[in-house]
Amino acid sequence: MANFNIDADKQVTYDAIVIGSGISGGWAAKELCEKGLKTLVLERGRMVEHIKDYPTMNDDPWDTELRGSLTPEQHKKHYKAGRSGFIGSDTEHFWANDEENPYTEVKPFLWIRAHQMGGRSLLWGKQTYRWSEIDFEANAKDGYGVDWPIRYRDLAPWYTHVEKFAGISGEALGLPQLPDSHFLPPMELNCVEKHVKSRIENQFPGRHMIIGRVAHLTEPLNGRGKCQYRNRCSRGCPYGAYFSSNAVTLPAASATGNLTIRPYSIAQSIIYDDVKGKATGVRIIDAETNETIEYKAKIIFCNASTLSTTQILLNSKSKRFENGFGNDSGELGHNLMDHTYRIGAMGNVDGFDDQYYKGRRPNGIYIPRYVNIDKQSTSDTFVRGFGFQGGGGRSGIQAAANQESFGGAYKDSILKPGPWEFFITGFAECLPYHENKVSLDTNSLDKWGQPTLAIDCEYKENELALNKQIQIDAVEMLEKAGLKNIVGFDNKHEPGYGIHEMGTARMGRDPKTSVLNATNQVHAAKNVFVTDGACMTSNSCVNPSLTYMAITARAANHAVAELNKQNI
Amino acid sequence: MDRRKLLKRTGLAAGATIMAPTLLSLLQSCQSEDRLGWKPLFLDQDEAQTISALVDTILPTTETPGALDVNVDVFLDKLFAKTYDKKSQDKLRADLQTFNQECIDQYGDTFSSLTAADKQSFLQSAETKGGKFNMGVWGTAVGEPQTISFYRSLKSMAIWAYFSSEEIGKHVLNYDPIPQEYDGCKPVSEVGNRWTF
Repeated sequence: MANFNIDADKQVTYDAIVIGSGISGGWAAKELCEKGLKTLVLERGRMVEHIKDYPTMNDDPWDTELRGSLTPEQHKKHYKAGRSGFIGSDTEHFWANDEENPYTEVKPFLWIRAHQMGGRSLLWGKQTYRWSEIDFEANAKDGYGVDWPIRYRDLAPWYTHVEKFAGISGEALGLPQLPDSHFLPPMELNCVEKHVKSRIENQFPGRHMIIGRVAHLTEPLNGRGKCQYRNRCSRGCPYGAYFSSNAVTLPAASATGNLTIRPYSIAQSIIYDDVKGKATGVRIIDAETNETIEYKAKIIFCNASTLSTTQILLNSKSKRFENGFGNDSGELGHNLMDHTYRIGAMGNVDGFDDQYYKGRRPNGIYIPRYVNIDKQSTSDTFVRGFGFQGGGGRSGIQAAANQESFGGAYKDSILKPGPWEFFITGFAECLPYHENKVSLDTNSLDKWGQPTLAIDCEYKENELALNKQIQIDAVEMLEKAGLKNIVGFDNKHEPGYGIHEMGTARMGRDPKTSVLNATNQVHAAKNVFVTDGACMTSNSCVNPSLTYMAITARAANHAVAELNKQNI
Repeated sequence: MDRRKLLKRTGLAAGATIMAPTLLSLLQSCQSEDRLGWKPLFLDQDEAQTISALVDTILPTTETPGALDVNVDVFLDKLFAKTYDKKSQDKLRADLQTFNQECIDQYGDTFSSLTAADKQSFLQSAETKGGKFNMGVWGTAVGEPQTISFYRSLKSMAIWAYFSSEEIGKHVLNYDPIPQEYDGCKPVSEVGNRWTF
């Protein structure tokens, strides 16, 4: 593993500094290290080494005292993120401490954070889809936000580049709205999913239901093992079968000998030199000692995660940048987006009682966007679109508890597989609104005395119209697929639940209306790069992580080229 | 012997202020007697007996182990003690009391003291009351939430505690911790019981 630099503070000068070690930070580190740059990765949390630091990875339910339940103290520690419903005692140690890291919800917003090496790359959903030309053209075409300074063709080779190394399983379809990746073999649909797929595709020409495209290996790759279908991913995978910084990019970066990871390093601000006209380093607070240290580098990559990156930039004030680093446009902190979440339908499927499956597949189905992709599919009530995730399986405990029965025969009956259930749930694109924003709250400080974020974000008319259509379409598709007991739902979750927060330091063509240029450089300080979700100019309706990977690899290679030409 | 029955039988149920030493010691010995076979962390003896009787009636021993065989009651008590906050604990106590009061009103005794037939008939009635659990998407229920009765909530917890126990997980359900492959269409006849979680 890497040189940890836990107390090697004598060395304060590097070629590059990467703030954050999650999905995008790991890629930045790998690309920069492989190009020969001595790279310091600043991680605000603790070290989490692949396998060694996955304490629960092999636990069965009965192996832990409370079988996954949290104590009141743990609930308190995760009083925000607990709303997601995803935290159990098996993964609790990978979720940030909300009490030590408060934020203000001006309007309700769920901000999910993971403060350790690897960040949320340990916990993510692994759904990986390329964005399409439709996505990169959207702002220019309908006039919301500003135009992306790049197009699909700019990113396509970088998608391929990251896919070959990350390992993406899926099925090629040739759909313009969901370009194919460089694929490993797809995972399999189960009996009921195959049935529903054929019904939906027959009844709704132009709609497709496919197995999810995921960053799980279905074949060994670069010494990593393939998925064992345990579905215990979020505890860390002993086989390295899913993509995480810990299992994939950071070991590669480390293998070059150029990587130094410094844990417990909270990036407080970026240091700007007025004379040189560029950034010279990063000021950190040691999370354990509260000591302030300055690290120097020629280039700085901001990969702290969408809102944390913007928090650092807003906190980086200088004579040149009085309102936050690179904030000449006034757009820093603005245009926050997330995908709408948990709107859809579910029901039971009859006729497959004699069929079951083997294995716990960490993946579901995907229905690519089919609205507003061409003339015929254009809606007159909303712009942009939505896709669905979902899946089928045989029901669990609550369906058994719902039966109006008890006793010996009942008990023996519920040992058998339950009724088949199938659901689809939509993810709708959110428009970039200037008024959806974050700002520094100097009245509310975190454990280290630093200003926190106030988040002021809401879905508006277009998102609500998309959600309405999602539910109508979801119910209709399940009806036409012949499901029973169909329930349409809209949990009306606030932004943040999608955990696809994007924007707040957007890319653009014009420095007057954007923070970053076409290669993710801060317009006014070209040796600072932002390649996490903060850079996003629009929001698409597909999961963003693969795009963060590709954008990061592209920007890192550009950074090295520019450095070699002595342009930065 | 159940303390409540003993009190009734000895005529001390209501308002006895003076107890003969022998009776007192008899009562105390009843209280400390190992009637449960385990020492609750949160529940008192009467509450624990109610929980034990409930989970035993819902998931009795057949050819396969029952709830008590795999200590579902012991585990639920531990959950109440270690995962419930004060508010939830107070609510649980109140719910248990209400549940037993309904038993007393209808059958003249608390649930654990009822005959098997009365337990059956009381739970049959409880099954028809209150809402049902909505289906869930990724661990969160969807749709308009219904009000779930104490009984159905406890039943759900009992099933979870039962399925997640080592004995059931390893020896009754299909234990397959490392499936290696995914087979999307496998006849139930080749699998049998559910896969272990």
